[in-house]
Amino acid sequence: MPRAAWLLRPPGPVPYDAANAAMHRLAERRLAGEIPDTLILLEHPPVFTAGRRAKDDELLWDPASVQARGGIVRKIDRGGSFTFHGPGQLVGYPIIDLGTTPDAGGYLRRLEDVVIGACAELGVSVDRRAEVQTGVWHGDDKVCAIGVRLLRARVTLHGFALNCDTDLSWFAGIVACGLPDRGVTSLSELTGRAIRVEAVRPSVERAFASRFDVAFEDAPDEIVEAFTVAADVA
Amino acid sequence: MSTQTVESGAAGHGAEPRGKRDDDGQATYLIAIAEALWEEMERDERVYMLGEDIGVYGGAFKVTEGFIDRFGPDRVMDTPIAEETIVGMAVGSAMEGLRPVAEFQYADFMSSGFDEITTVLSRYHYRAGVPLPVVLRAPSGGGVRASSFHSINPEPWYAYAGGIKIMCPAFPSDAKGLLKSAVRDDNPSMFLEHKWIYRRIKEQVPTEPDFLVPISSAAVKREGTDVSVITYGAMVHKALEAAESLAQRGVSAEVVDLRTVYPYDEETVLRSIEKTAHALVLYESYRFLGIGSEVAAMIAEKAFEHLDAPVVRLAPPNVPVPFSPPLEDAFLPQVADIEAAVDRLAAW
Amino acid sequence: MTSIQMPQLGETIVEGTILKWLKHEGDAVVRDEALFEISTDKVDTEVPSPVAGTVTKILVDEGATVPVGTIVMEVAEEGAPAVAAAPVAPAPAGAAAADAPPAPAAEPVGVVVASSIPAPAAPVSQPAHVAASVPDRGPRSQILSPLVRRLAREHSLDLGQIAGTGTGGRITKNDVLAVIASGGTTAAPAVVTATAPDLGTAEPAAPPAAAAQPIQLGVGDEAVPMTHIRRAIAEHMLASTQATARAWTLVEVNVDHLVRLRERVKDDFERKHGVKLTYLPMVVRATVDALQAFPDVNARLDGENIVRHRLVNMGIAVSYDAGLIVPVIKGVDGMNTVGVARAIADLAARARAHQLTPDEVQGATFTITNPGPYGSVASVPIINQPNVGILSFDAIVKRAVVVDDAIAIRSMVNISMSWDHRVIDGELATRFLARVRQNLETWDFAEDLGL
Repeated sequence: MPRAAWLLRPPGPVPYDAANAAMHRLAERRLAGEIPDTLILLEHPPVFTAGRRAKDDELLWDPASVQARGGIVRKIDRGGSFTFHGPGQLVGYPIIDLGTTPDAGGYLRRLEDVVIGACAELGVSVDRRAEVQTGVWHGDDKVCAIGVRLLRARVTLHGFALNCDTDLSWFAGIVACGLPDRGVTSLSELTGRAIRVEAVRPSVERAFASRFDVAFEDAPDEIVEAFTVAADVA
Repeated sequence: MSTQTVESGAAGHGAEPRGKRDDDGQATYLIAIAEALWEEMERDERVYMLGEDIGVYGGAFKVTEGFIDRFGPDRVMDTPIAEETIVGMAVGSAMEGLRPVAEFQYADFMSSGFDEITTVLSRYHYRAGVPLPVVLRAPSGGGVRASSFHSINPEPWYAYAGGIKIMCPAFPSDAKGLLKSAVRDDNPSMFLEHKWIYRRIKEQVPTEPDFLVPISSAAVKREGTDVSVITYGAMVHKALEAAESLAQRGVSAEVVDLRTVYPYDEETVLRSIEKTAHALVLYESYRFLGIGSEVAAMIAEKAFEHLDAPVVRLAPPNVPVPFSPPLEDAFLPQVADIEAAVDRLAAW
Repeated sequence: MTSIQMPQLGETIVEGTILKWLKHEGDAVVRDEALFEISTDKVDTEVPSPVAGTVTKILVDEGATVPVGTIVMEVAEEGAPAVAAAPVAPAPAGAAAADAPPAPAAEPVGVVVASSIPAPAAPVSQPAHVAASVPDRGPRSQILSPLVRRLAREHSLDLGQIAGTGTGGRITKNDVLAVIASGGTTAAPAVVTATAPDLGTAEPAAPPAAAAQPIQLGVGDEAVPMTHIRRAIAEHMLASTQATARAWTLVEVNVDHLVRLRERVKDDFERKHGVKLTYLPMVVRATVDALQAFPDVNARLDGENIVRHRLVNMGIAVSYDAGLIVPVIKGVDGMNTVGVARAIADLAARARAHQLTPDEVQGATFTITNPGPYGSVASVPIINQPNVGILSFDAIVKRAVVVDDAIAIRSMVNISMSWDHRVIDGELATRFLARVRQNLETWDFAEDLGL
């Protein structure tokens, strides 16, 4: 019997700071047992986020150039190195309580399965790589980045970022995920068709519901609105 | 195989017939060793021998009597009294492709070449990648009233060097097969011939030219169910005698002869302990740091859950080997001591 | 005193790095407050305190990377003992279960809890309370050698019930062996004794899942823990049997003409389509038609509603090295025989290679199992929940049958179905199977093979 879960689809693009703050607040509420497991699906305006292992020289453009292009840079509390979010990229933040004996590796594998399953539904064959490199790939090119943090060692934060018709030239600004010899790609680039976030989202929702054994209901309006209000500093 | 104890002269110096087996085909430990050397010299002309008095005199114990007539002075080479040089020559000629077998008149004198053995011979392959197929052989051990200059059990010293295989056979067949294996092995070996055994123990010994005993393999010389006696060298014969006496009283002892003491066959030892649950490690090298202390530690570590009693060692104290006969007898483990140790273990 | 360990965040995560101490020696902490930040190769997190109290000792530097299970901090609890009540010294799983009250379900990560933290190599000579207490017949009667303990543990013996004939009343190996030889059990059930850690390996020993119930082993018996998949299959089968009102019907089908057809065309089929032609695709096609004619069989029970599925997603039971799996051909009602044959071959191959996606093993509306190749002539399968029926197609066997009042030899097969009597009745089930039979006996499959 699938469990009930909330699905949030704030209309976007959603500013990073607002989304990050709202996500953390929701995670605290999940930890307290006030809300069910939740999946947030949205897009962001251009932002480079630096994880805990990001080195400064992995941002190849200086902050002024980034800003001139219309992007921002944020240091955040997930593991991993630099990545990029922007329009045309479906970002997913699952807020899941993994319990007191979490299997973080298993959770990451399930996220990969969700993305792989959704892409398969769209006719695109993608795969995971060796244990070490989390994410979803087509050959040597990464189509979906995955980076996760746990709150209190049990509730998940951050998640995945699947390139649909993202402007891939943004990725030239970083050594993506700290791996200089790997490329980045998108579903559109792989298929030669314009595949938009709207087309991908239903497949991701279905794959997620199936893989995590949940039945989605829409989150209450005020929860969704929290994502679009100007944020406190994350 | 049947063995017979044959009495010798006082210290076994050159007083007995040699070079031939008995009419019934049995060979003593000493003859078996001589046969091994002869056969390997015939088989491979790179093999040659060097040592004090081995050529013209035929060797202090007469092991090599007759060899120089057959193989010539270039291959049966008399050296000065210079152990360091003997080892050095062996090392140098081995580097050039020869396969030297160096004899030391008594194992006690090997320590004059200690540095050459431990610093050069044992480490050369590690340093330069060049194998040195050198065999050092010497009469070792006590119980023959030869006192502290002629009775040493030096195996712990040289096992510590780490690069030399060290063999201490107890039976004639084992001696022949192991010495042949040592000559054919490309690693440096030390072949210690227990002088107490030389003319005392004889048995039917195989004659096939390729009869070999694998290095680093132990052998169960008597099967039993109550206690394992792990031992080597002359002590094997004492243990067997004790086992016979214990069997009359209903205690079944198993005797495991290590044959090679470094590296030794842990597997056979552990299998015996698993069977009996009681371990007596009996050895003639000194109690502190002798070969048995290593074996005892290994048993405690690896067979802990198979033990119904603590691991017990029986060995002489760390003192110079006494000259006075009653003192030497008190120094060495005797059959009665072995029986008493087994009794204590079985009753723990 | 509570020891805080580097937590286990996942089976494959073996170490973590302390990024930052958030609390220092002397600081007060409340329950659930974050003590330190860690980074692993998969995730970062902060580790909360399981108790309220004061930090007494920090054992590891910032920036250090330590294996999971390493004690990194000590916290002195204030007031009443913390809920876990586990002993401070890391204890092997079994011993803690015997001693401590059961840990509550919501135990935060990081506490020394028997079930979740792997046991570090602890000395096995635990105090006497670990083994069953032995009556005091003198000082030596309390000595239990490692061998005696191991034998008692392996054979679930209560050492308190064994008389010691060794010196001073010590229980010896022979005393224990005598009990084992005489039947292997003692009066009282054994208390779980500590499992000796393997000193030879570097990894912490994985604790058994349920340490509470000791397994009774006869001499020579072997206990093999169930695999993940085995447990899942067990739960599914039990749940199905308990939830459904299972009944079973069998029909005999004359497939003589199919056998002859297959003999004739199988090589061409394989050459042209790249997969072998078995009978299964034909049975699938015949069944799909019957499902469309009797939609209550292509259904599931949801509460009080019978939900009839529009599409047919056919589950095909496949046995493979790990057990049993049921890949699903989605939308099989839209495929012809060639398509079904290809789909079956693909799914079966990927099932055996462990390459099925999660979506491919869910969503079946009806299931077919084919134990025929292994030789059974009739089987009573368990319904694949939440389907209404599961059809079994067994071995095709030449039999003597009556044709036109004479005995003839025909290739016959038993096709049967386990079905849920809550949803359908015998008449419907029989008519359904009769339809399958009719299809198999009368359809000309030759047209559908694309040759």
